[in-house]
Amino acid sequence: MASRRTIKIGLDGGSRDVEVQVPEGEPPIWDAAARLRVVGQPVRRLDGAAKVTGTARYTYDISLPGMLYGKILRSPHPHARILSIDATRASKLAGVKTVIVFDRPDYFGKLENSEDSGHPMESDAGGSEGPKKRRIRFAGEEVAAVAATTPEIAEDALELIDVRYEPLPHVVDLEEARRPGAPKVYPQGNLAPPSVGEQGNVETGFKAADAVVEGTYTTPVALHNALETHGAVARWDGGKLTVWASTQGVFGFRDDLAKFFNLPAASVRVQSDFLGGGFGAKFGAGVVGVVAALLAKKAQAPVKLMLDRQEENLATGNRPSSVQWIRIGAKRDGTLTAIHLKSHGTGGIAGGAGVSGPVRMFYSCPNVRTEEQDVFTNAGFAMPFRAPGFPQGSFALESALDELSDRLGLDPLDLRKKNYVEQKGKVLMQEYDQAAKAIGWSRRRPPSAVPANGEIRRGLGMGTAAWGMYGGPPADATVRISSDGKVECVCGTQDIGTGTRTAMAIVTAEVLGLKPDQVHVVLGDTATGMYSPASGGSVTLTSILPAVRSAAEGARRKLLEAAAPGLGAQPEDLDLKDGRIVTSSGGRSVGFAQAAARLKSAVISAQASRVDNYKGMGGESWGAQFAEVEVDTATGQVRVLKIAAAHDAGRTINRLTAESQINGGVIMALSYALLEQRVMDGPTGIVMNPNLEDYKIAGPMEMPEIVPIMVDASDVANNIGVKGLGEPPIVPTAAAIANAVSNAIGVRVRDLPISPDRVLALLGKVKEV
Amino acid sequence: MARGKRKTASSALTRRAFLKGVGIGSGAIGAGLLAAEPPHRPAPAKAAGATLGPGPVALGLKVNGQTQTVRVEPRVTLLDVLRDRLDLTGTKKICDRGECGGCAVLLDGRPVYSCMMLALDARGRSITTIEGIAPKSGLHPLQQAFIDRDALQCGFCTPGFVIASKALLDRNPRPDLDQVRETLGGHICRCGTYPRIFEAVLSVGGRGRPADT
Ligand code: FES
Ligand code: FES
Repeated sequence: MASRRTIKIGLDGGSRDVEVQVPEGEPPIWDAAARLRVVGQPVRRLDGAAKVTGTARYTYDISLPGMLYGKILRSPHPHARILSIDATRASKLAGVKTVIVFDRPDYFGKLENSEDSGHPMESDAGGSEGPKKRRIRFAGEEVAAVAATTPEIAEDALELIDVRYEPLPHVVDLEEARRPGAPKVYPQGNLAPPSVGEQGNVETGFKAADAVVEGTYTTPVALHNALETHGAVARWDGGKLTVWASTQGVFGFRDDLAKFFNLPAASVRVQSDFLGGGFGAKFGAGVVGVVAALLAKKAQAPVKLMLDRQEENLATGNRPSSVQWIRIGAKRDGTLTAIHLKSHGTGGIAGGAGVSGPVRMFYSCPNVRTEEQDVFTNAGFAMPFRAPGFPQGSFALESALDELSDRLGLDPLDLRKKNYVEQKGKVLMQEYDQAAKAIGWSRRRPPSAVPANGEIRRGLGMGTAAWGMYGGPPADATVRISSDGKVECVCGTQDIGTGTRTAMAIVTAEVLGLKPDQVHVVLGDTATGMYSPASGGSVTLTSILPAVRSAAEGARRKLLEAAAPGLGAQPEDLDLKDGRIVTSSGGRSVGFAQAAARLKSAVISAQASRVDNYKGMGGESWGAQFAEVEVDTATGQVRVLKIAAAHDAGRTINRLTAESQINGGVIMALSYALLEQRVMDGPTGIVMNPNLEDYKIAGPMEMPEIVPIMVDASDVANNIGVKGLGEPPIVPTAAAIANAVSNAIGVRVRDLPISPDRVLALLGKVKEV
Repeated sequence: MARGKRKTASSALTRRAFLKGVGIGSGAIGAGLLAAEPPHRPAPAKAAGATLGPGPVALGLKVNGQTQTVRVEPRVTLLDVLRDRLDLTGTKKICDRGECGGCAVLLDGRPVYSCMMLALDARGRSITTIEGIAPKSGLHPLQQAFIDRDALQCGFCTPGFVIASKALLDRNPRPDLDQVRETLGGHICRCGTYPRIFEAVLSVGGRGRPADT
């Protein structure tokens, strides 16, 4: 049964009434009119002290009695057949407890189609290639594993495993892989079927245009490099498996292991109390999780298997490269008439190189055609990387729009506003205006001629962000109040650094009239039985918080019912405020702890589940970023001076951590724009920079001033009105920086990263690189 | 390569271009900490006739005020001893080659990358890890400032930043932004917390903006 309710949505101050269909049992919706005490305030992280004192235990820090250390042997060849693996010498080394060789073609076959298989098209088993030999498809693929009493012995043992390979021709270069006759990564070839989308008719659209721009943009392969590498600690107790894992999704990790070992899910427990980042590369158990459990099983002892930085950069995921040709047509007044995007890119042996999201979502245009193609190469596999496809797609789209603005003599911001997508709260317009003001956009001048030698030039640029995932069921939570006054909020979910733990406490505290630090949060454990989706796609809070709220409301109801007689009142006339239960007249009250102590049971608890998003409600999270840069035309060095980033997440839960998340997205994208690229060596097919020295990540010296702006825009797809914020801030930064650089030097940037040599090439000072 | 023609993301990269590309940019990574505080070069082990290793040797280390004895092979780094043998896991291993600062500890009060130092070479020195920063009860003001300013997200890099910042404040109680940046130049945070780390350190030195929590 559903009921209809009238609620207010929209921006603070500019809200309007709408009617929504709400499932039975939903608490009063926190709409734009809701006055909340804790939600939306800046709240310190509950686990801050554990993190600044070094007591927080990450998977990497887990140590169990009798624990062994695992290590993986990886192929040095980018493409080869394994003829034989001889582990005799390694097994005999003192301290080595177990060696496992992965010689069967389908060794990790059961991981296919899992969230994190990395082997999406492994289908050689029993193929036409004669004897069943395992085929290696990228340098760094797993060949064998050992478990030993110390990490040093495990390392030594790897060198004693004798592997005979039959090297096969390989291809690591995107364009070479597309040529007929190129070495084949898969028997089917190197080209995935193209994906084509069309709305309207671009031919007609371009005919109607007064101006058309076109260009080709490229982006490199980027590596996640979460600072905690992939890894797990596995322990078997009879037929039960317990794993501590560095994962963004404890439940997905559990399910993969259950499937691999043919166990009921209930026999596998996965925990992740603290997690050192993921950014999309840590879904599912993957080979690492499975190997940890295999080693532990065979050695009959707990095993810790953590990858080192090099392995992390070879075999745990990446953001695919892209080559994007884009053509955009518009009327004299800036109204878009057509966008045509053709792209291809490589995610190594995996797909995932699509980039058309921004073109399809960001602006309103009647005629849009997108043609995308994954190209396979003998390189490590792609994994989702914070807003998959969007930073790449945004770079090409926003660059082309800037070029179009300059061509038409329009302000780039006006051009975007002209074509914005009508949405419920007009929140994007606010974001444009607030961020433009923060950067001082009115100072922007159209680019002038290419600068004279040695000049330092400044420029301004901008870009739009949107993200459209809203979360939803299943997600469960329990809130418990014990007679000793302890309040617990339980959900199996994981906190990947975004502040999930604190957000759960904030919502519980709001409902129970407490302070967030009075709520004890239990998360990161499948044994809670309280399901949560993986933390990816900006869906964690949107999925779990509405369930947390409903559970807290249930516990509240029970507590008030119990306290009512003592206060001589009806439960409906009671409220929970500042740690007390008060009558509506304010006449009588009792402290929270006192009320709990008077409970007739040791604990009251309420469990609730996420209901579907309210029909017709919800929408994208939007954002706008503006950048100011300085370009030294003598050295080609780009310095980002300032970035203003305005975003909304529907209702902001914790202003402090939300702003941190904006900073984080901006910085990661700045790094992508200026520094990051995985470099492969063609002849040997290996990664040349699988470390943090040659794979550059922005550090303190590159930091600009960042102005994070949270715009509150109540939305009501769920009882809290929360939307996701993980991905949006990383989307437009690279585009905004590239536009600012183009604005500074009067030449269009078409390739990331914007390295000094490229800038000098754009300025005609060195040959193009 | 002509405009408008299809280009490749990486095929045009020569070895020379690669080296150029990685050679510029963040020149500070791996340099900041070292530049600010040259790693203490240990005196060569006394030639007392004893040959150490390759098997495990007994080793006494003074960590956070307590002397502890471990048996490790001479090739084992200070970082691995702290983490794997003494269970002091606050110090993180992130790159294991002096590129990120996650493993920073204080050696006689000066910050060093413990992944770049053999445990043997830390004998007789006073080692302070992140676990030894806070007073008996409560937190060091710097740790409190990190929490107040939300200078951490996943927190994996945080111990290294706290250690390096503490070393800075110990010798320069009122650093300015440029000094903070430079000191922390050799540290990486993938979650992107730098601006708030700067704020936290500046605030302890009395140069920060008020916190909003
Ligand atoms: S782990 Fe020592 S500097 Fe990175
Ligand atoms: S807080 Fe996650 S790496 Fe710094």
